[in-house]
Amino acid sequence: MPVGFCAFLRSCDERQEVPVSAVILVPLLPLLAALIVLVGNEGSQHQRVKIAAYPIGAAFLGAIATLWLVATQGPITIRFYDPASLAMLAFPMGFYIDRLSAVMMVLISGVGTVIYTYSIGYMYQDPHDRRYLALIGFTTFVLLCMVSSANLMMLFLFWQVLSYMLYFLAHNHAHAATLEGAYRTFTLLRVGDVAFLSGIVLAHQLYGTLEFHALFSKATESPITLSPWPGIEIGGATAVTLLLFIGAMSKSAQFPIHLWLPRSLYAPTPVHALLHAGIINAGGFLINRLAPLYGLSSTTLHVAFVVGTATAVLGATTMLAQNDIKKTLGFSTIGQMGYMIMECGLGAFSLAVFHLIAHGLFKGTVFLNCGNVIHKARQEPAFPHVDSHAEEQEFSRLTWFTGFTTTLLIPLLILLVTHGVLHIPLLESQGTVIFLFFIWVTSSQAILTLIRLRAVASWKVSAAMLLILLFVVFNYLFAVESFTAFLYPNPAEVAFYFQAAALPNWLFDCLIGGTALVIILGWFYIYAQSHGQFMWVPSWVEGLRLRLYVLFMNRLYADECYQALGRAVMRVVHRVDKREAGSSE
Amino acid sequence: MTDIVTTSLLLAAVPILGAVLGFIVWSQPDKLKIWSVIVTVLSLLAVIGISGRLTETIEGPFFLYLLPLAAGISLLGGPVHQQHRLSWILTLQFLGLGLGILTSQQVVSQITVVVLLGLITFLLYWHHNPFWPRSWWGIGTYALGALCAGLAVIADPPVSSLASLVACAILLPLVPFHDGYVTALTRLPGSLPSFIVLLLPAIGLHSLAGVILTAPEIAISTVTVLALVGALYGSIKALAQSRVRLLLAYGSLSFFSILWWFAALSRTIVPQAVVFLSAVAFVTSGLLLAWQVVRTRYGDDVDPRAISGLVRRMPRFAVLFSLLALAAMGLPPFGVFAGFIGMLLTASLTSSVALLIMVIAWLAASWYILDMVQRLVFGRERSDLRYEDLRRSELASLLIVVLIVIALGVAPSSLFGITQQPPSAGAVKESVSWNR
Repeated sequence: MPVGFCAFLRSCDERQEVPVSAVILVPLLPLLAALIVLVGNEGSQHQRVKIAAYPIGAAFLGAIATLWLVATQGPITIRFYDPASLAMLAFPMGFYIDRLSAVMMVLISGVGTVIYTYSIGYMYQDPHDRRYLALIGFTTFVLLCMVSSANLMMLFLFWQVLSYMLYFLAHNHAHAATLEGAYRTFTLLRVGDVAFLSGIVLAHQLYGTLEFHALFSKATESPITLSPWPGIEIGGATAVTLLLFIGAMSKSAQFPIHLWLPRSLYAPTPVHALLHAGIINAGGFLINRLAPLYGLSSTTLHVAFVVGTATAVLGATTMLAQNDIKKTLGFSTIGQMGYMIMECGLGAFSLAVFHLIAHGLFKGTVFLNCGNVIHKARQEPAFPHVDSHAEEQEFSRLTWFTGFTTTLLIPLLILLVTHGVLHIPLLESQGTVIFLFFIWVTSSQAILTLIRLRAVASWKVSAAMLLILLFVVFNYLFAVESFTAFLYPNPAEVAFYFQAAALPNWLFDCLIGGTALVIILGWFYIYAQSHGQFMWVPSWVEGLRLRLYVLFMNRLYADECYQALGRAVMRVVHRVDKREAGSSE
Repeated sequence: MTDIVTTSLLLAAVPILGAVLGFIVWSQPDKLKIWSVIVTVLSLLAVIGISGRLTETIEGPFFLYLLPLAAGISLLGGPVHQQHRLSWILTLQFLGLGLGILTSQQVVSQITVVVLLGLITFLLYWHHNPFWPRSWWGIGTYALGALCAGLAVIADPPVSSLASLVACAILLPLVPFHDGYVTALTRLPGSLPSFIVLLLPAIGLHSLAGVILTAPEIAISTVTVLALVGALYGSIKALAQSRVRLLLAYGSLSFFSILWWFAALSRTIVPQAVVFLSAVAFVTSGLLLAWQVVRTRYGDDVDPRAISGLVRRMPRFAVLFSLLALAAMGLPPFGVFAGFIGMLLTASLTSSVALLIMVIAWLAASWYILDMVQRLVFGRERSDLRYEDLRRSELASLLIVVLIVIALGVAPSSLFGITQQPPSAGAVKESVSWNR
């Protein structure tokens, strides 16, 4: 373990934290908003709904002020309990707000404010508007408390409440399918809650504390090996982080506990905006909050990488085969969350936070708009279809050359130069290569999308491609690097995480090479198709493609698998029950 | 000594005398109900007044406060009907016996347990239904409990210790001695099930605090295995039930088994265990009362699958029922969660398999309780049903239960006068064995 990282942990313990009690108003204001909406008669409801927007907006301003305070004066700690007797207390309330918490608070309260304000008009005269608007306020309160928790126990308390909030947000009283979906959402999330609880109990058993910094210090100073079953040995930090990771998987809809997300798509679209922009980030936040603990277990980080990659691939592929706007967006979120967990698995924790912020803002906007699209489509059956002849799809050498150069040649050159050819020492942690590779993948994806949408001969399109590349490079090299320096000011800490997550060199090279090959082949495929050229594909590949399409269109039959599992469990349950005859009320 | 006997007699006398006086207004059910509630309030005041003169126990005067509250809530929440008059009188009688057991010395306490279990056995026999043959098992179990409680008084150790342990396993239900509890919750009339769901387990835990220290090692090992089996068995049985009272009986059995496991593991009763038991009992009591509300409106034999969509027309009922269900699922900020997590964090866990079983039992509660709530409260509103929201007395009783369960969850246990018992010499003190 690097000396720098140990020194960093010690400095966390010794750090003078700023006691500013007023910051607890930030999570409490959305609760006040929820109460304003709930309490009162029907006559004044619309007025109260409008008034409630102010506390939520004030919470956003308060979160910005908190971020400034934390950035300039250090973390804020407020405790209403004695940390030495945590186990004796039922409800250890306290707040610990560092830069990570403050950033998340700004995101949550900001998104909450926008969504609530939008919902006032969107939900007007809806029979369930009171419930939904109050729930938005209450969910924002729960999320803010969760991200500013002073200890793992408080985080878990609000984590569980969030599971129940999701159940309520996702259901409509009288709609059978919605109720069934909400029930499954809750039961699946509870599986994650149970794993989280087990992780907490194990952490307390091993290290005797649930206070964040004390937990990190003890886990770092005293490595423990467990033997849960004869012949099996596992590190204490690995066991704890793996259990907590299952909890994170459930909230961030990671494969195979992702089913609750598509099942909860019946709620009003503003609620979805909150879900996809705020609630689903809980898993990413948990991993980042416990980053020093995760940094102690390469195994857990590698598991996170595999789970995240699988979820990203399956989520994105399933998204492409959906024919429903909400399901498409839902699986897009699953894919993005997989991407974010994969970044955590690679040790790029700050990149994951940056990603979830960007995704939250983007997906929140898309969901707020998709309700209007659906309404418009219902009113105008032609909308949003566009006449296929409206835009002339002709091949442009200029466009294609620019695309080819910007997405393949320039980034590949940078990557090869840094990774293999020049043997620059940055390879030691794989971290910079990961950043560079993400630059390439992201810009390629953006430019490929642009080409697919507008493959027209225009210098404007070429300029747009170059700008995209510049923007992405700027984003990663400047914005993400700055954000990393802001979130994790100690470079030793960042290097430690990358080192902990480092894959074997051969595997890392294979992954880089394999993904590069897929992108290049994708480019050639699109190039050939745009020329109208025939591409020979073996018949079995074509057959496989069709079968895969059906498989992904049916979401891998995962729902059916879960239903079969549920039926099997209930068969066993009823068999046990029937052994005792004569039981009736 | 004389002081303790006087105190115990006084506490027991208030509700028993109240029950006797209740016969004066026997022909007027509404007045009898009001009188019964007043008697429970007087009992509570009596407990508050003389709690300082009581002997020091692990749970302190905590259960003494809770018993009159539980009795009062059970009486308040039930409907006014002449068929329930006997159950009101018996509730007061049981309250008197319960207070007597919790405050008197060992021998008197055990004899009172014999009387209490004998009374319940008689009642179960009285309400025996040939269509429910398993009730014979329940009657037999309580008869065995009375026998064991009596044996504990006259026999020498270790027989007395084992007899006491079996009596505890019948009072605070543990597989395979759970049939009495399940039968009592499903067969007893009126306000009795919602009261004895706290009364019997509280007495069981009170007795267990003394027994667990002296019980032989082999008995404790057996209890550990039975508790693990019971936690799973209770969950499985609860999952299979469509009838509300059976579901609640088996669900609470599963949670009480969790308590048994922790008690056997640490060989002591921690304050969190007292909170856990009280919370589980109150939540079950509240849900039984809520189900009684439905039965009052749609008949005693109502099938819960035939009722749905209560949320629109009975919003107050729906909110309180949902809150109680949340507590029963072990969610924060209610007492069940606080007690469960408190026990988990204070115990020295030695087996990962046992921990897995405990958390599975906790997880299963989310499935069967939520399923019940979803069926009753949500779903399609039926046009052929007449919906009537909570009456004042029903609202008050359910609201008090919710407030108590929240208080158990958020307030530190020291506030209730529950003290930490020092662990016994034989208790497992070392760190986890799978931790090297």
